[in-house]
Parts: sequence; structure tokens; C-alpha cells
Amino acid sequence: MAEFTSAVYQNEFLPDGGTDVNAIVTIRCTGAGAAGRTGSGDAGEIVVVDTSGSMGVANMNAAKQAAMIALDNILDGTYFAVVAGNHKAYLAYPMVQTGAGMVRMDARTRAEARQQISYFRAEGGTAMGTWLNLCRALFGSIGILAQKHVILLTDGENHNETQGQLDAAIANCAGDFQVDARGVGVDWKVAEIRKIAQAMLGTVDIIGDPARLGAVFEELMRNSMARGVASADLRVWIPQGAQVLFIRQVSPTVEDLTHRGAPVNQLTMSYPTGSWGDEERDYHVAIRLAAKTVGQEQLAARVQLAVGADLLTQGLVKAKWSADTNLTAQINPEVAHYTGQAELAQVIQEGLAAKSAGDEATATTKLGRAVQLATESGNTEATSKLRKVVDITDARTGTVRLKKAVDKVDEMALDTASTKTTRIRG
Amino acid sequence: MSTEWPLWSLGTPAPDNAHPAPEGVQPPDEQAPAPAQAPAQPAAGPAAEPVPPAAPEPACPACGRPIDPAAWFCEACGNPLKPSVAAVPSSPSPGDSSTQTRRLGERASALADCPVCGGSVGADGYCQTCGAKAPSARDHFTSAPAPWVGGVCDRGVQHSRNEDAMALWAEGDRAVLVVCDGVSTSIDSDVAALAGAEKARDVLVALSSEGIGSDDSEDTALASALVTATEEANKAVIAHTAPDSTNAASATFAAAVVLNDRVHYANLGDSRVYLLTPTEKLLLSIDDSMAQAFIAEGMPRAEAEALPRAHGITKWLGRDANDTVPRTGHQPVTEPGWLVVCSDGLWNYASSPEELAVQVDAAASVSSDPTEIAGRLVVWANGQGGKDNVTVALASVPAGAPTLGATPSDQGKESAEHG
Repeated sequence: MAEFTSAVYQNEFLPDGGTDVNAIVTIRCTGAGAAGRTGSGDAGEIVVVDTSGSMGVANMNAAKQAAMIALDNILDGTYFAVVAGNHKAYLAYPMVQTGAGMVRMDARTRAEARQQISYFRAEGGTAMGTWLNLCRALFGSIGILAQKHVILLTDGENHNETQGQLDAAIANCAGDFQVDARGVGVDWKVAEIRKIAQAMLGTVDIIGDPARLGAVFEELMRNSMARGVASADLRVWIPQGAQVLFIRQVSPTVEDLTHRGAPVNQLTMSYPTGSWGDEERDYHVAIRLAAKTVGQEQLAARVQLAVGADLLTQGLVKAKWSADTNLTAQINPEVAHYTGQAELAQVIQEGLAAKSAGDEATATTKLGRAVQLATESGNTEATSKLRKVVDITDARTGTVRLKKAVDKVDEMALDTASTKTTRIRG
Repeated sequence: MSTEWPLWSLGTPAPDNAHPAPEGVQPPDEQAPAPAQAPAQPAAGPAAEPVPPAAPEPACPACGRPIDPAAWFCEACGNPLKPSVAAVPSSPSPGDSSTQTRRLGERASALADCPVCGGSVGADGYCQTCGAKAPSARDHFTSAPAPWVGGVCDRGVQHSRNEDAMALWAEGDRAVLVVCDGVSTSIDSDVAALAGAEKARDVLVALSSEGIGSDDSEDTALASALVTATEEANKAVIAHTAPDSTNAASATFAAAVVLNDRVHYANLGDSRVYLLTPTEKLLLSIDDSMAQAFIAEGMPRAEAEALPRAHGITKWLGRDANDTVPRTGHQPVTEPGWLVVCSDGLWNYASSPEELAVQVDAAASVSSDPTEIAGRLVVWANGQGGKDNVTVALASVPAGAPTLGATPSDQGKESAEHG
């Protein structure tokens, strides 16, 4: 049985009249076990491969190989399906016209599915909303699945759907299953795929070199199979009269959860966190309270992790009003670090957006600030990716010049990695 | 299931005739087990685990109600306890990390009603509606070891925790009163101060019952016992200081032993011992403080104690203390009155023995019970601002005098009451 533990990092001391409490809550899961094997219910996996015409022969072949490798890493007994997507969505495996749209993995079904994948050919357009909706229907046809995960590969923009159609499909599917999305090549839009992945509690990344597709799919599927906790929720209790300023996952990536909550009761909101393996995630909680008199103490938030109705761990975020400025003036190092990491993600995305809109002044300022933040926080991955987009004159002050010629892959890699954060503890 | 799947092999136009339709397309029936035949797995709902039978809970020796094995005080009556297990670190230090890992539901929730909003208090010690911290037994406790000896130790108004400590004992015509004031800038001083006070009390209880002959030999024996008790208290404070603590716990020390009609006392720092009778109003202890240094040079008390650094103490208990030998003394009691041992949280508002006597008399005019008098003095100090923790312990001297008809059966019992 998985064990969850939590730790709170904050300066609980507020000055006289102070109202805002910030804390980092780390939640750690151990003993998660394997997907579908912990007695909490079956797991389902769907591999969605873009078979649009733009894939071409080379990418199509690499994608076929990668999809087969993904199948090889699905544990026997797991329900699975393979979807081929272009301007429509097709069920490639199992080859059934009605009934259960997924089958349990075993040697025979794996071989049959591999063979079906081998027949894929690049043709047609792209309508990812239809792919998502088919996935939802397939999962739904099994009914008993506790854990539902999709690996989605694409290479292009969502040409054959309106923005509204894609948004409607995302809204239809959000909360039902998780999607890890990967883009191959440089003709897809990071913002479009990020929107899908964020709403579907998954990750987004670029695969610049098609030869890496197989390794990426292997890792994605292995990670998914190692998530033995099918679904967990972050619950945040705040006192009567208090206000949530924001709730943010800050590690391993920055994800704003503030508006994703559903009320549990008058004082408690529940935020979906998807499935868990053996891992740690950090959350930044900011709460506004009515100020109390100096010397008083109160709870600002109870931050809990719940699986179903069971609360498995709780971190207490506190507020103590003090007249001692030595206490109240300190900024907790974890809070400061993750505040910087969240800003880093924002300025990278804003800087790249300004750059593509031709606003070089804004792009230079934003990406300069990003270089400064990444350097200060020791985020070497972000620094090295920024270095491919800007020439750094002085990292400490954030003085940069936009590079004259930038490889599109490098720019997209910077964009997709913008939300990845570093930690400051071991 | 009525859904018709858009089968890829059927739905896409055949690209060319080189590829025949894939083999192995079979009727759906043979493809997969029908959902209904799938092993019936329970959905991922709440696992209805039976609640494990509760282990027999330890109970408070004073009131019989259940106690937390890690608690130093009974939650119900405030009676001091000896923890049978190590407590989780109480308050994290400023800006420090705190680990709060707890499986919920192991302890009964809703311990009591919240005094602020009337909501229920959770197992974590905070109100489940308004988040107010429920008053803890450490924040306010009383001790009444005999009808003629009692005291109250209180967080005060402005401090967020109670770093004062008090340990009392009485039996027959003997009593021990110890007050320690944890220095609020040091780490864990609340825990250390309590450990020090209790250790000193225990040492004094043991030593004060030995070999007492003439007044002279009693004075010598008690002075030596008080020095030993201070030493042991110092060791206890150090033992409750984390080895890697950057700001070692430290505390003041004031102790008095009543043996019938004599009072023996000792102090380090600025917690005090007073003897107040109708004709004698004495501050027996001498502070180890900056203010006292100025007083020694001739500055009037009121002026010295108003100096900005007046409260800086020059001696204390703790790992970083240089000198932990207390100043000791003794005083015969010639007429019925009150022995008062207190922290600066009280005497900040009534420093001279005459001023303090006014407040004690006012409180004693309502009740002659020392615990109640102490309680009234704490309320009064909090009314004056309560800017520090407040501890007041009193003994009616000579032992058992003047008014209390102490029932023998109550004597020596560690009774306690609600604060």
C-alpha cells in the first residue's frame, strides 16, 4: 500500500496587520506499486499515433517503431487500445466494431496490435479533438478502469478542427483520463499541445530527432506503469473568511491549480492530481487571512492528499502574528525559490511569444529576466536551453541579445521545458 | 454496448492494393472478453477498512481522563505528566522547515469546542472552522499540590507560546516552588525550561527531607541542596537542547523551599522570590540583570527597570551559560503571609514588594486559595498588557498558615484544576 507523507516549508510569522501566508508543501509517495496491480482497479493505456499526411515516411516509420515499443512496456493484464489519428480518429486495435473497445494485454494481443501498427501509413489531416473523444469512448466501454492514460504523438497543427471544437473535446475529456503529449518535428504548436497536456494532467515535450521516439515512448510507458496510485486529489482547507490567492504545483513542473478545484465542503476544495508513482511533488499555497492581534496563532490551511475518501497525509500551514521584525521579515527559502521558478516559466513563455510576434524589445527583456532567474536558482537545464536562443552578455543582471539565427527546435525545446523546475533540497 | 467503433482498417480508404486487408480481423466476440465477464474488481472507491480496535489509552493520574502518551500535561485538567513516548517537535523555529506527517483519523477528532467561534477542534489542535489554535495545556496550567500551595503558569497575551515553566510540591509542612522563564530568543526554551523546573523540584524534594537538625545546619544543607538543584536543572535544560542547535535553549531559575517557618531560596536571572507579610514586604532574590547592575550603582529601581536593556539577564541556565551557581539565602517567617515565586511577566507590572503586596492583597481579599490568587494575579498581569509569559506560585507561610484548615487527606496530593 502506498504511503504518503508531507512536509511544510514556510515562515509562519506575520507582522502586525499582515494577511498573506505562503508555504511550500511537499508531498511524497512511496510504495506505489504498479499500475492496475494494487487492488484498487484495472489500468488502461491507449497509444494514439498521428497518421496525418505530414508525418511522411521517415516520421511515420519512427512513430510505428515507438508505438510498438510502448506496447512492449505495457504490463500483461492491462487494458489497452491503439488509435490512429488524422482528420478523424480510428480504432486500429482491437479490431472490433462494437462492444469493449479495449482488450487485456497478453502475448497474442500484443502481437496482433504490433501487426496493425505496422500497416499505418501517413495520410490526411489533423483533428486532435476527435482523437481525445474516441479515447474517452474507448475507456468508457470498459467501465471498470481505475486508471486511464494516453500517450499522444503528433507532428502538426490541429488544422481540421476549430479552436472551439478542440476546446470542447478537452472539456469533455478533462478529469476522465491523463494524457502525455509529444510533438515530433517543428510544425506543431507548443501552446496547442501544452493546453491539452495541462488540462489532462500530463506532460508535453518536443522530440526533435525522430530516432529518439522509441526511447521516449519506452520511458513514458514505464513511468505510467509505475504509477500504482490510480488517482489522488490535493485537498486544501482554509479558515472561514479566508481566501485562496493561488494553489500551484511547483515541482516537478509549474502548473496553476487555482481554478481547477471542486468544493468538498464550504471550507475545503479538491484539486485533481492524477496518478502517482514513487515520487515527490511540491505545491505552493498562498492564503489571505484576516489579521489577528500580535501573539495570536492560527491555522492558515490544511493541505491534504486524498485517495477517494481517505486522507493519507496532511501538512499544516500556520500564521503567527509577531512584533519581532527579525522573525517576520524572513522570507522562507523554498517559497522564494519556487516563486522565482514560476516567474521563470512565465517570462520564458512570454518572451518567446513576443519574439514570434516580432516584438524584439519585449522578447529581449523577458528572456533576459529568464536568464537571470535561471542562473540565480541554478536551473542549468533552462540556462542551457536559453543559451541557444539568446547571447548572454551578463547572466547576473539578465543582459542578453536575441540570437540572429535560432533553430526552431531549440526555441520549441525552451518553450516545452519552461515549466520544469529545479529543487533546492536533496 | 451500442457504440460503433470507427475501425481504422475499415474506415480508411485502401491506399493501394499492395497491402491486402490485414489478416486476423475477426468477429468482435473472439477479440476480447466481454466487459461483463471481466473479473469483478471493486471500483476505486473508499476502502471500507474496519477501524482498528483502540489500544488501551493511558489515563491522567489526577482526573482519570485519557491522555496523549507524549504529553507533558493532561489535556483535561492540566495536571503535569511524565511522557511515556517522545513528543513530536512542538513548534518549528522561525523560517525553519516543519514536518507534519500524520495518518489522519488515528486520534479522535473534535476534542472540544473552539473558544473563538464555537466550531469543533480537530485532532491537529486547530479549529476546523476558523483555524484558531486551541489553547494547549502548555499555554496555561495550574498546580495545587496542597491547599496552602498553588500556582498558575500562562502564555500571557503577546507571546505565541508559553516558555515559562513551574514545578510545585508540598507535603506536611514542607513545600518546593520552582519557576523557570525560558528565554524567548532561544530555540526550544519552552521544553527546556519545563524540564529544568521539574528536575530542580524533584532534586529539592529528595534533598530537603534529609538530615535537618538545627536552624544552622538546615540553612547550610538547604543552601547546598539549592545549588545542587540548580546544577541538575542546568543539566536538564542542556539535555533538552538539540545538539546542533545554533541558539541554545536558556532559562532563568528561581526556587524556594518552605520548611515550616523558614524560607530558603535561590535564583539565577530575573525570576523572583518575594516574602509579603503585613509588616514585612521583602524582595528576597536579587536579579542577575542589567537593571540590577544599575540599581547596585545607585540608580533608583523604577528608573533602572525602565532602561531599554533592563531585561537583559547576566546569568541563566543553558548550554552557553558561564556561571550557573545561584545566589542563595534564607529567611525566617515571623508572621503569616505569602511567599511568592514569579517570572518577570508578573513583576513587570508590580516590581517593588510594596506594589506587588497591593496586588496580592487585592487578589487574596476575594479568595484565600493560593491557586486562585495566582490565577487572579495572572489575569491582572494580562490586563496590564500581558507582554510576556506570566507565572505566579504562592505558598501560605509559615507552612499551612494562616487561614486554611488543610484537610490532611488532601495534603501532598498533586491535585489540579482547570484554568
